[in-house]
Amino acid sequence: MQKINRRDVLICSVAAYAVTGLNAAQAHATPATYTITIHKFKFEPDHIDVHVGDTITWINQDLAPHTATADTYDWDTEMLEKGQSKSFLVSERMAGDYFCQFHPNMKGTITIK
Amino acid sequence: MKIKAALLTAGIIASFAGSVQANDPAKLNDLEIAHVAYVADNIDIRYAHLALAISSNPAIHTFAKTMIRDHTAVNEQALALLAKLNAQPQDNFLSQSLQENAEKLITEMSALRGAAFDKFYAENELAYHKAVNDLVGNAFIPNIENAEVKSLFEAGLEIFRAHEHHAEKMVSEVN
Repeated sequence: MQKINRRDVLICSVAAYAVTGLNAAQAHATPATYTITIHKFKFEPDHIDVHVGDTITWINQDLAPHTATADTYDWDTEMLEKGQSKSFLVSERMAGDYFCQFHPNMKGTITIK
Repeated sequence: MKIKAALLTAGIIASFAGSVQANDPAKLNDLEIAHVAYVADNIDIRYAHLALAISSNPAIHTFAKTMIRDHTAVNEQALALLAKLNAQPQDNFLSQSLQENAEKLITEMSALRGAAFDKFYAENELAYHKAVNDLVGNAFIPNIENAEVKSLFEAGLEIFRAHEHHAEKMVSEVN
């Protein structure tokens, strides 16, 4: 039987910690999907807490076309007509405020956990 | 009567030679109301095209493009609903008055340039949406009989109220 010395145990522990640490950085094992409804000139909900790797879908239920556009213009659903939707895989760059380019009073916020 | 006074004050409609009873917006039927809405949408689209042609102000351009986009969407929905109902909108005194007054305003606006145009356009848009929203909310929606037509007007009113708020912001920016 092979002898396990203290050095081997230490290496295994470090490796296990590294794997666990990676999972923690990814925040959660199963990415979630969130839907933001555009209804009566509002983003519902107008604030959302998400993890990197989740998916956010915007769907427009209004007669009027809308967009969901980052204040920084880093991301943009472009025009969504009634019934249309667009999804984004959440990345760090999506954190922050966004608005509708056509109706600037419509505002929303994405927080990355 | 109150609605008509508001429209007159805003310069949206001209004075009528006929009696108040004969020219009461609250007495219009669903198909006449649909006609008024279609005319009102198209008038605002014409104002917007004029603004895009004359103004160089980015805020005016943003607003004008939104008016074209949104009023076109409403008109498309209205036409689709009328087709579904196998109905034709009916011309009436209010549609004619709106059209007549719009022609005068377009002539007046066409002669303006620069900040004078921007101010006129912005203030007219605010007054126009205020008056039309008052008309739609207080005279049309309570009197529309068809449930689908009523629902479309309720959705339209949400849009036009957002335009009114946007117009308020535009007015403050150009003044």
